[in-house]
Amino acid sequence: MGGPGGRRASPRPALRSWGAAGASGARDHEDARREMTSPPETESLGDRAAAALLGYREGRADAMSEFVREATPLLWRTVRAQGVPREAADDVVQQTWAALVGHVESISEPKATLKWLLVTARRAAWEVVRKGRADEQRRTELPDDDAETSATLPDPTPGPEAELLRDERDRLLWGALRQLPDRCQELLRLVSLADRPDYRSISAAIGMPVGSIGATRGRCLAKLRAVLTEQGETSWT
Amino acid sequence: MDMTYFDDVPGAEEPLDASDVALLARVAELSERADPVPEGLVERSLFAMTLAGLESEVMELMVLEAPAGTVRSDAPPLETRTITFTHERLTVMIALSPGNTPRTVRVDGWLAPADTLTIVLRRPDGDHRTTADDDGRFVLEDVPRGLASLLVEQDDVPITTPVIEL
Repeated sequence: MGGPGGRRASPRPALRSWGAAGASGARDHEDARREMTSPPETESLGDRAAAALLGYREGRADAMSEFVREATPLLWRTVRAQGVPREAADDVVQQTWAALVGHVESISEPKATLKWLLVTARRAAWEVVRKGRADEQRRTELPDDDAETSATLPDPTPGPEAELLRDERDRLLWGALRQLPDRCQELLRLVSLADRPDYRSISAAIGMPVGSIGATRGRCLAKLRAVLTEQGETSWT
Repeated sequence: MDMTYFDDVPGAEEPLDASDVALLARVAELSERADPVPEGLVERSLFAMTLAGLESEVMELMVLEAPAGTVRSDAPPLETRTITFTHERLTVMIALSPGNTPRTVRVDGWLAPADTLTIVLRRPDGDHRTTADDDGRFVLEDVPRGLASLLVEQDDVPITTPVIEL
């Protein structure tokens, strides 16, 4: 094969982390980040995804770097919600971003970029879980193994160590969250990292009709409050 | 139907208000504390995207096994680490040990099946190249610590590993 870049007509710009940028570059990034953290009312994560994609196509990497930084937690949460172990989830998130580079030209509607990322990450996560189950299956077919106890995947969201939640209110909220149906937990974790206009992308990623996602979020929040109230935590009501 | 599932929950239809926003923010915060996004994942992703931009047809290897917390930046990589990557056409095993100079790593690698293929260790600041011998062994000495991905040039489509922290 040829040298790097020999395979495509227009090599993609290199993406740099803030730490690696020069002093002046870092200042620009700081400015950009400040703008990002207080976006105008109409701008959502999905809008920034679209802007990042368009900029990247034109050889500008800054908006894309910033968007990767902003959206990686949402991808991480999406992948982990499927039950993927941390080490494998790291690779799934990385490969989802790398796959975006390969699809930069084929995403015809830039507004669909966030949805594309979430759906891609979720599918890749399923694949990892499927392989994990197949491996478990092979292992549990050993004669001395008890299939009932060993055929389960690691808990996708292990209960945090007590020291992580020293605050009693944190513990109550965490306990209440874990009492909600899985779908509620996943939805709340995802919408807590996104903006309201992004519900369309999130609905596609978690297979929930977009028309019901806002109402379901409301119900899940109300349910969460109800559990907190049952437990005597009244400061939320 | 789905819409009626929580209908007995008071306040379910209320629009998102300030206290909802606050509660969601706490959900996000607790989720992050309980299951934090790994340190350096953004940097690894950015580097993986840069590599993907250079080599759009690269195929991915999967990390087969690694001692917990040693592939990523979580643990100080002072002792020897062994990482195995698999792909349908190739298995690559690498052993990492301290290099001769500070802040460097020696990479001992084996390809299976053995073949005299070109190996490129790609780092944000440049590439290190070498060739595997008849037994499929290769060595990269004194590689600076940091993000890296191995690329094996094979047939038409090179194979690359995920970005790891040396």
